[in-house]
Amino acid sequence: MLKYHKWKLFFVAMGANLVLIASLAVADVKPFAEINWLDVISEGGAATLALIWLGLILHSRPAGRVTQYLSMGLSGIFLAGFQDFLDEFIRFPATAHWDHWIESGCMPIGLVLLTLGIYHWHKEQLRINEQLRKRERLFREHRSLDFTTNLSGADYLRKQLAQALNEHRESSNTLALLFIDVDNFNHINRRYGHQQGDHLLQSLSELILLSIRRNDLLCRYAGDRFALILPNTGRVVAEKISSEISLLVQHFAYKTFTQDESLYYSVSIGTALTCNDNIAQDTAEKLIERANLALLKAKEVHRTAVQQAA
Amino acid sequence: MDTLTIAMNSSEAHYRPQPYGEIDTQFIPAHQWPLALIELALSRGIEEHKLLRGTGIFREDIGTHCFQLTPQQCFQLISNLQKYFYNHELGFLLGHELFTPRHTPATIALNSAENLHAVLDILVDHQAQIMPLLDARCRYEQEYLVIYWQDAYGADANMVFLLEMMCTALNSLTRSHCTEPLPWQFHFTHNKPSYIEQYDVHLGNRVHFSSHMNAMSVARDYLYSPWKSCTADSLLFRNSVADPTSTAFTFQRGFLAETYTYLQNNIQRNPNLEQTAADFGMSSASFKRKLKKHHSHFQAQYDLARRDLAIMWLNQKGATNEQVAKKLHFYDVANLRRAFKKWTGKLPHAMDELG
Repeated sequence: MLKYHKWKLFFVAMGANLVLIASLAVADVKPFAEINWLDVISEGGAATLALIWLGLILHSRPAGRVTQYLSMGLSGIFLAGFQDFLDEFIRFPATAHWDHWIESGCMPIGLVLLTLGIYHWHKEQLRINEQLRKRERLFREHRSLDFTTNLSGADYLRKQLAQALNEHRESSNTLALLFIDVDNFNHINRRYGHQQGDHLLQSLSELILLSIRRNDLLCRYAGDRFALILPNTGRVVAEKISSEISLLVQHFAYKTFTQDESLYYSVSIGTALTCNDNIAQDTAEKLIERANLALLKAKEVHRTAVQQAA
Repeated sequence: MDTLTIAMNSSEAHYRPQPYGEIDTQFIPAHQWPLALIELALSRGIEEHKLLRGTGIFREDIGTHCFQLTPQQCFQLISNLQKYFYNHELGFLLGHELFTPRHTPATIALNSAENLHAVLDILVDHQAQIMPLLDARCRYEQEYLVIYWQDAYGADANMVFLLEMMCTALNSLTRSHCTEPLPWQFHFTHNKPSYIEQYDVHLGNRVHFSSHMNAMSVARDYLYSPWKSCTADSLLFRNSVADPTSTAFTFQRGFLAETYTYLQNNIQRNPNLEQTAADFGMSSASFKRKLKKHHSHFQAQYDLARRDLAIMWLNQKGATNEQVAKKLHFYDVANLRRAFKKWTGKLPHAMDELG
């Protein structure tokens, strides 16, 4: 990311350089005994930290208005800190006032700009949250994100499921858990390599995300198996959604990297619902187990259908 | 058939150690599964310098066909992976790739075998080429065929990774060649891991943890049921040029696996450290040092060999505790029971099939 921000870094470096040169030009260096080392450490530390924040922000953000505000704000804070730091080594003549101006002027301007930046960042984040809505629910953990599909993994699924089950205990609605498994997935890995297989999974995850509701959550369980949590959903709706997803995948013409070839895949889906009678005993583990079993049955049905067709 | 029968105590002949590989023997062709593993890891976003740290492997060397690794280097590579890669997927993923016919003549042969029996013959005969780090032993037990996986070179903490990889590989191979997936049962000595989802997806729901053996089993009926004729994949690779590095190996097993085999086959002679070392052609001190290099010691290997024999005799042959105690040179049944409890956590009569 840093290469998009060369000019910003250049200006910060220039600014610091100018301050240093101007200071050395007008003032004398303090003798060693007069230097207050505690101040040096605290003021130098503040400037260094501001610089680190600037680096992290620039390294993680694309260019744009929010980045502009944040970087200008942090640059101001850094320059004010830097001037403060130089004060410790240099005695300014009483006639020079500009050093005070830099110190006391840059800081408030920087803080205001930073505040503006954070405010817009907040706005931006709300928009991004909306986009991520079907991938995460009210809790973010970047370490559990799956590298291939950018969906959350099985750990996140278990946590979310436990939480959703808690919520459902109070209401009379049921919750549905769908396990979606790609039929014959090994075929693509064996024939085209695992990168192609990864890409297929990624495409399928986007496809499924398009066809689910706002409050549903899609996770990658493991391998070629996805898990879909459908809160407040009964059997009829769960089966409708499940058949919609199968139809969607069947009609999806997946393109391989190298040839103008379209591959068609199908999925088997296993559904598990919470039972209202003894919801107290329904744990995330049990629900996952039931969905897995249902999936195995669905696979069996799929296999016999294929054999009969052949 | 000969590879499927383990030389047990039937003959009283003295078993002599066969040539073996060691943890620092250079013989694993780097461009085969190690390269596949490295590429898989890199494609999952692990940085190259972290992955190869401490392994003494350079990316440039691997491309050349004659570069060979030691088991130690492979172990280091696998530990690096486990350190930097959190979701434990790679062992299973590599397993799916391990037997694809592109790697070696041996894997091509695996893919054109006519049934499971032929596959197991190839697997056992060509262990050193296919996957030397785990020693595979096949055995019939009642209605089942059981494949035991054993540490051949001192894998230590990497054992779980290797087991996940090998079980997935064999499961994946049979799945793509049989008309219906085989109902494999998997037994692992380790406890149920937190990443159980990987086992669910890659191995299925017949997985047992905290078992006293690392093994997989299937009903014997499946051994000779014919496989689908060669798939397009294997036809593609069938005519590929023979691999220059896959010349005949001078040894079949790793040092630990050979020690274990020696101890089991000579159990009637009540082998001790001195005798074993002498048969391996070295002094006791050298033998001890060699075992230590492979992260083990004599008593551990001896216990392992006796434990497996005891379980086999009790389960299979319906031997009584007295008979087993006598064959394993225990002073009396009480001593056997105590040792058995120490090895397996259970008493001999509580043993059910594979646990």
